[in-house]
Amino acid sequence: MSPILTIIIIFIATAFVIFLKKEKHIRQSSLLLALTAGASVFAMSLPVLFQTTAAWSDSVWLMDNFSALMATLVAFVYMSAAIVSFRYIGHEYEENILTLSDLKLYFGLFHIFALCMMITVMANNALLLWMTLEGTTLSSTFLVGLYRKKTSAEAAWKYIIICSTGISLGLLGILLLGYGSSLAGISGSDIFTLTSLAENAHLLSPDIARWAFVFIFVGFGAKLGLVPMHIWLADAHSNAPSPISGLFSGILLNIALYGIIRFRFITDLTLGSNEWTGQLFLFFGFISIIVPAFMMLVQSNYKRMLAYSSVEHMGIITFALALSPIGALAAVIHMIGHTLTKSMLFFGAGEILINYKTTQTEKIKGLMKKAPFTATLFLFGILSIIALPPSVLFVSEYTMFTSAFVLHPFLSLLIFVALSVIAYAMLRSTIGMFFSEGEDVTSLGKREKWNLTHWVMIAQLILVVGLTFFFSSADGLKFIDLISKDIIYISK
Amino acid sequence: MNPILATLLQGFFIILIAPFASGLVRFCKARLQGRKGASPFLPYYTFATLFKKQMVISAATSWVFRVVPFVVFSTSIALAFILPLLFVGGKLASMSDFLVVAGILMIGSIFLVLGGLDPGSAFGGMGSSREMTIAALVEPTIIMVFAAMSFVGGTFAIDGMIGQQLVFSHPYLLLSIFAFLLVTLAENARYPVDNPATHLELTMVHEAMILEYSGAYLAMLEYASAIKLTVFAILLSNFIFPATVGVAASLGIGSALVAGIVAIFIGIIKVVIAMGLLALLESVVVKMRFYRMQEYMSIAFFTAMFGMLIAMFSYVIEVAIEYHTLFAALAVFFVILLFGRARSQVMLRYYAFSSLSIAGIAFGLSFILGEEEKKHLWLFAAVTILIKSIIIPIVVRYAQRKHKEFISSPSFLRPASSYFVAVVILGATFFVMKQTPIIGVVEFDTLLFASIALVGLGLATMIVHRNIFSQILGLLIIENGVTVFTLVTVKSLPLLIELGVFIIIVASAFILSILGSRIREFHGSSDTEDLRNLIE
Repeated sequence: MSPILTIIIIFIATAFVIFLKKEKHIRQSSLLLALTAGASVFAMSLPVLFQTTAAWSDSVWLMDNFSALMATLVAFVYMSAAIVSFRYIGHEYEENILTLSDLKLYFGLFHIFALCMMITVMANNALLLWMTLEGTTLSSTFLVGLYRKKTSAEAAWKYIIICSTGISLGLLGILLLGYGSSLAGISGSDIFTLTSLAENAHLLSPDIARWAFVFIFVGFGAKLGLVPMHIWLADAHSNAPSPISGLFSGILLNIALYGIIRFRFITDLTLGSNEWTGQLFLFFGFISIIVPAFMMLVQSNYKRMLAYSSVEHMGIITFALALSPIGALAAVIHMIGHTLTKSMLFFGAGEILINYKTTQTEKIKGLMKKAPFTATLFLFGILSIIALPPSVLFVSEYTMFTSAFVLHPFLSLLIFVALSVIAYAMLRSTIGMFFSEGEDVTSLGKREKWNLTHWVMIAQLILVVGLTFFFSSADGLKFIDLISKDIIYISK
Repeated sequence: MNPILATLLQGFFIILIAPFASGLVRFCKARLQGRKGASPFLPYYTFATLFKKQMVISAATSWVFRVVPFVVFSTSIALAFILPLLFVGGKLASMSDFLVVAGILMIGSIFLVLGGLDPGSAFGGMGSSREMTIAALVEPTIIMVFAAMSFVGGTFAIDGMIGQQLVFSHPYLLLSIFAFLLVTLAENARYPVDNPATHLELTMVHEAMILEYSGAYLAMLEYASAIKLTVFAILLSNFIFPATVGVAASLGIGSALVAGIVAIFIGIIKVVIAMGLLALLESVVVKMRFYRMQEYMSIAFFTAMFGMLIAMFSYVIEVAIEYHTLFAALAVFFVILLFGRARSQVMLRYYAFSSLSIAGIAFGLSFILGEEEKKHLWLFAAVTILIKSIIIPIVVRYAQRKHKEFISSPSFLRPASSYFVAVVILGATFFVMKQTPIIGVVEFDTLLFASIALVGLGLATMIVHRNIFSQILGLLIIENGVTVFTLVTVKSLPLLIELGVFIIIVASAFILSILGSRIREFHGSSDTEDLRNLIE
């Protein structure tokens, strides 16, 4: 099973989008081919993930446990977003918010965007990883700016400028690492292969590794949304169409973190311990949790609130990664949980947008009466994201705090307070949306029907709750442990 | 070959071929403009006819008027005999001290000016005053060019300077050669300084001074200017390709004939090529307004001065300055120039030149590194020129074609402070890099410095300028810096990766330009201060 198959399927999907003429055909073909591509990725990654096949790598592709996990997550969110797009974009086309050429642009870029994400997590060559990561930025810019509004253009501009600048600085770091390895005697094209870099990391000079990691961290951190490079995130995630926001918050941020983690592994092997890199992760993770807490108190747009929540959760994962080895377990669980929960929330936000046509929180009243299915699922999503049990995020945050309170008690206390503030802010907005008395219910139009998006949302919710029980068991912990071995360097 | 014979052969060759050279320029220009053009041998007939014609001399003139043609003609012939054109080491070689040569040129100019003033006509006076201005501005540049070369070559005689292979082994002398080219154009009354074929007195400089001459005197003056043009053309080509000059004293009498024929043959080739290129230049460039002459002369002078300064600097720190260092300095220099400008066309042009310099760095590096790197680096240089200097400006302009007005919103700083900030960034980069231990690890220190400086300047461009368009350029400059960094560290990436990186750069330039154009449509301006709708 080779990634080439996935590439071919997605190219076929894009070709269909370009050449088909009727809107319904485009949506159907995209959905079908997206599901096929997702299945092909599953066929590659699930065997490795569940230990039926050994991890493999060659000069171009890498499939170890961590890659398999990320590939599974990418494929899953891709398929869910494709299903949601089928309904969402179809609805927007019928309402004449989007034209046919906009629809074609959306689906074409959607496939290319997903392809770039999939190749990034499966690439063994550092430069290929960089190229496809930059490819995700380029292909999603026009997705962010899809609606012809002032704010969309501005959001797309900030997105591409900040992310492209960051990724260029990341390239500087990757080149420095390659140079270090060529100095250490590795030959030819192997200087950029992740596996050979990891094997020969002890030969690199520590200075070069440090400088390289700083560049990579700052550069990819801009794409990750670490404070203070997060200014594009709220704009881009709130102005994109909802399925794309789900993809962004759900998986794209994780992919940027994937890049940082891979290079952190190599740097730690060179330096011999994960203390130095841990300090970077600690600092940036901490401020990435505190700052969104303040921003969320003043949000008037529910999609922006969800976007800031993404910044905060990425901050939690980053902070957890500084607290190895238990922190690594927490980080992996949190990554999986956040992907499922946040994408579900954004899909739900899309449904709210369809019903109310506005993203301002105070204009939405009486959601529970008008759209009960969306409201219930969204409420459960919010309860999951603020880490109430039985959400899987509860498991991960609990695990993180057990280690954090021991190592950094003062910081952990502040983070705990911040998380409480965030919980308060999110609940205040959503309860205001759901349970407030609005205008007369009958004037708001028909009652909502159960549609495709709700299927996706409930599937993700079930997974979120189910994984809680799985990860709390011994089997689950072993599963996570295997993955975290690829992430964190444990010094002997 | 006997030095006396060599000098005589050279002098007569120049005298004989000068009218052909002058006619050839006219002929090539005509062909380039789509006309048939007169035969290149026409000037021979012209001069012959002019010598036969009767002269008309104004009664208001003095003896100066009659002396001028002889003085000017004799200075030109002196140059033809003294300078090492076909042979080095001729009999009069010791007279080719560059101050003497400059003096000879000056005598010719001064007497020509006097000849223009003497009849007391309005146009003559105008031409003379213009010529004096140009000569006063050109003189320091000539001295500076030759001073740089004599400093490097260790000899005052031009003969000695050409005898050693100076230019290619000391790349900063290319700056002096460039200045010498500008001086050549100014001295010989060619575009963009003067139009030798104009019939409008208001646009004349050289022609105005010889307006009152007729018959044999006119023939002598025109012949003199043709000889001067030939001499300068061959001298310039000798500076660039000193290997083509024969050595006068080395060969015996037996092979003198062969040596002579070879020298003449090479001389003819040089003249033909030089005149062809001159015709091409004249067809492409526009004659400048006279008030802009001082900009042209300043560029020539500063280029010559930089050549001299780098020569002295290289001597003092005892490090040979290589090609790639020079090109790296040029790349950073163009970005600094870009930093202070506000018009998009100008900024794109400087960016194209900076990318050209980066291709030059790759080219220069290819001489130092091994064989297998050479092909890679040449390919890299070619693709860089193609994509960054040609395609990206086209792409960016295409995406902005709907907005024809010049985008020039002000930056936070005025131009002078912008340059100051740029120099401060350079200094900070230098200081920081001296502290880090990476300097000792990497060879090509100057290239590393240039790449980090480019990244820093690119970031500054994005932040300081309030223009959307400058942010695009800032990103492109950062990517240029990363490219130079590639050259420093890894030397060459696999071909597919190179191609991928280039495609990404072009794609991001394209996407950014389209977005920028859309933003301008929505917001009505390209000021980034307007992009503040989404604040909290």
